Amino acid sequence: MRALRSAVVAAVFAAGATLVAAAAYIPAKAALAQVLLERAWDRAQAGETNAKPWPWADINPVAVLEVPRLKERSIVLEGAHGEAMAFGPGHMINTPTIGSRGTAIVAAHRDTQFRYLRELMDGDHIVVQTQDGGRSAFRVVETRIVRADASGLDPDDGGPTGARLALVTCYPFNGVLHSPWRYVVLADRESPSKAARDGGGEG
Amino acid sequence: MRRPAAITHARDPRVLVQIFHVLLAIVAFGGLIVGYSIQTRAQTPEPGCGQGLMRRNDTGTGELLLKTAIPGCYFPAPRVAADFTIDISGPVARTRVTQRFENPADGWVEGIYLFPVPDGAAVDTLKMKIGERLIEGEIKERGEARRVYEAAKAEGKRASLVEQERPNIFTNSVANIGPHETIVVQIEYQESLRFDTGRYHLRVPLVVAPRFSPPPSASLVRYREGAQFNSFDPVPDRERLEAPVLRPEAGKVNPVTFAITLEAGFPLGPVVSDSHHISVVREGDSRALIALADRDVPADRDFAFSFAPREGDAPAVSLLKEQKDGADYFLALIMPRAVESPEANRPREAIFVLDNSGSMGGESIRQAKAGLQLALERLTPADRFNVIRFDDTMTQLYRRAVAATAENVAYAKGYVANIEASGGTVMLPALIAALRDETPSDRSYLRQVIFLTDGAVGNEEELFAAIDQRLGRTRLFTVGIGSAPNSHFMSGAARAGRGTFTYIGSTDQVTTKMAELFVKLERPVMTDLAAEWPSGTSSEAWPNPLPDLYAGEPVIVTFKANGSDGALLLKGNRQGMPWEVRLALSQAGEGRGIERLWARNKIAALEESRVLGVDIAEIDRDVLNVAREHHLVSRLTSLVAVEMMRVRQPNAPLTSSRVPLNLPAGWDFDKVFGETTRALERRADAAVPDALLMKRDVDTAPQGGVRPQDAGLVLPQGSTPAPLMLIAGIMLLLLAGVLRRRQQSTNARAR
Repeated sequence: MRALRSAVVAAVFAAGATLVAAAAYIPAKAALAQVLLERAWDRAQAGETNAKPWPWADINPVAVLEVPRLKERSIVLEGAHGEAMAFGPGHMINTPTIGSRGTAIVAAHRDTQFRYLRELMDGDHIVVQTQDGGRSAFRVVETRIVRADASGLDPDDGGPTGARLALVTCYPFNGVLHSPWRYVVLADRESPSKAARDGGGEG
Repeated sequence: MRRPAAITHARDPRVLVQIFHVLLAIVAFGGLIVGYSIQTRAQTPEPGCGQGLMRRNDTGTGELLLKTAIPGCYFPAPRVAADFTIDISGPVARTRVTQRFENPADGWVEGIYLFPVPDGAAVDTLKMKIGERLIEGEIKERGEARRVYEAAKAEGKRASLVEQERPNIFTNSVANIGPHETIVVQIEYQESLRFDTGRYHLRVPLVVAPRFSPPPSASLVRYREGAQFNSFDPVPDRERLEAPVLRPEAGKVNPVTFAITLEAGFPLGPVVSDSHHISVVREGDSRALIALADRDVPADRDFAFSFAPREGDAPAVSLLKEQKDGADYFLALIMPRAVESPEANRPREAIFVLDNSGSMGGESIRQAKAGLQLALERLTPADRFNVIRFDDTMTQLYRRAVAATAENVAYAKGYVANIEASGGTVMLPALIAALRDETPSDRSYLRQVIFLTDGAVGNEEELFAAIDQRLGRTRLFTVGIGSAPNSHFMSGAARAGRGTFTYIGSTDQVTTKMAELFVKLERPVMTDLAAEWPSGTSSEAWPNPLPDLYAGEPVIVTFKANGSDGALLLKGNRQGMPWEVRLALSQAGEGRGIERLWARNKIAALEESRVLGVDIAEIDRDVLNVAREHHLVSRLTSLVAVEMMRVRQPNAPLTSSRVPLNLPAGWDFDKVFGETTRALERRADAAVPDALLMKRDVDTAPQGGVRPQDAGLVLPQGSTPAPLMLIAGIMLLLLAGVLRRRQQSTNARAR
């Protein structure tokens, strides 16, 4: 009987420890992935074809997203599905490429890469460098909280400047359970000359 | 000692509480694990995806996949194969299209197929074939037919609904196609052949070309109380004209076959097809069987074929009669003999309008430019001309028409040679510019607008109205370019513009077809055509009034009369001289389908009267009456067929999907979609194997749960389970600690 009780205690302990470890693993994996992705990105920019962050990686980086004011930088991956979003912000594939006409949507987890979305304010600059070397600067014009199934976002509508970027994460930020709400930051592209200036300032 | 101790323990209530706690912890832990795995599943789709969806890897290469609202999940698109059986009897053709809807998916599907019919065809029959049984469709008022169909769809019954989107574009929706099942639907229509320059022409459109529908325009309207935005959408039903279009590298879908029985009624000369390889088997002097020579022909271009009477055997007149419901319906075709006349050499003011929008990219723009170059060469110094090109912008070569001197023509030819195709199709401003007439009362010139386009537009009504209002002394000639021009627009615009429609199907036809057009442009027309019936008979003739005639064109008129006595008198003005012909009604041959053709012509005339300012409610009432009486699909009536048996259980989900269409042959995919649809632009550069493109995401909502149109994109899950796991883990660790402590204390006491 005592042996059984000990076993139960051990099992509960083991389960708890596993969950804590797994919980710690998720942000750790995300952080590590970004470091590896960053290196792969640099190698790709340096001319290496098919630069993979780790040998078995099946994800495809498409852009670097930077918020100069908050000193945030992350590599955006193709596809806003679970596999990609475990490693970095995902670009929804049924939306235009970032900086093209229309609204490009990038989503990430509220507890990893897009934790900083709550700190973004109207007027903040977002700089995006796409894989082909193109650089676009966006300015935050609006934040909104929407239901996931009623976002009001139309990928064909590029806003007043023709190209728009929507950053999306879960809401509320401190929530624990999955929520139907999403926090959306809308940013409109700035004129190319401004983008070049910002780019020059950064680089 | 041990056993009694254990027994005491068991009786000890604290032990029971402890065991209860442990059980609770196990249940809680199990619950967390299950809950977590459910949430992860919602977040990242498991292989299979459910609801008949699949992941990219689940399929072979042959599948057409449509993207769904669930990332990573795809839907295998339904496909349609079509067989055409055409019976030609004299100048009338009856076509039976057998559409086989195949569902390659594991779930239940509603297939929505956008298909073309020849302009002016009267769709009158729908049959759904299930096993050996045929379920006959009924004509119902459009809204009612839709309700009947939706009810059957919701109840899980097989059903088919044929609706008219444009006079030449129809939709066939087939509900509750079972997993891997094929449903066969037959549609029948009637049309009259086009007779032009000595040949009968039949053109069977096989693919609906992607349309450019101009975006809605907003305008600020001022009222006394303030201002208000009014938005005007020139194409309110744009959604219904859209279907997924396949990238060319995805291969072709929707195969077709043809079986044509030709009963000419006169000794046959050559039978040729400009669009496809055909095999012709002759049976006697006037009969032939025609089929496609190749197998597996995809529906990506119109099927065009023509036949001529043997030299010298051309009938100048043909009159056919059909009796139906106590009334006599006639079809008369009269070929006026061409005469040479000095009056033919009136100088012309020719305005050439060239559509260089993206849909004209590839083969089409080359044909159009070649045709236009020929037309420019044909001008004489006495003529005046101008060139207008348009996409979503517009350029007029000269501010107003100039004399066609050698120098001016050479300059224009150089200009035309450098035009390239791109951009949207915004036709109205170019049309208005071409019709702008500086000297409307000058009769010394024949003013002609020659419009070279594929007519890939969705705002036909708006354009027809503009032509009708502004025509004046101008005549509008449309030249249809490419493998699948919009013949509803082409012939409608030519009718409204009182000119003709010339169709160029391929580059090697440019010279001959343009030459035919030049004859029409340069020869005066037969005008003021009118029909007179014997006194005492009531009759109704369509089209009414009869259109002007150009060289090589016959008069075709359908009419309804009570009785076959007396003669029909046709009068006109040919090259300034009176012309008339008399036909005895009693000598009419037997014809089939004339009643339906007559009704179709009447509906077309009623619809066109809209631009003349006739009250819309009145038009609607008349169209509805004619369509119901003659069993025709129209703008206001649809055919619906429903099977009585329920085949799908209500809880099995039904996915609605549009059938992907081929890009018309010769079209340049990126030129068409590059400018209009960014979603496609994206896919164009994605190197993934399923970059087959689709214009519109498939609605995967289960029956009844349709996603609202303006809700926007569904956003992905933006959180990880990490915080939840952390909390649960810490709680379990605390629980383990508490249990451990209790165990120690009990052990201590037991000792």
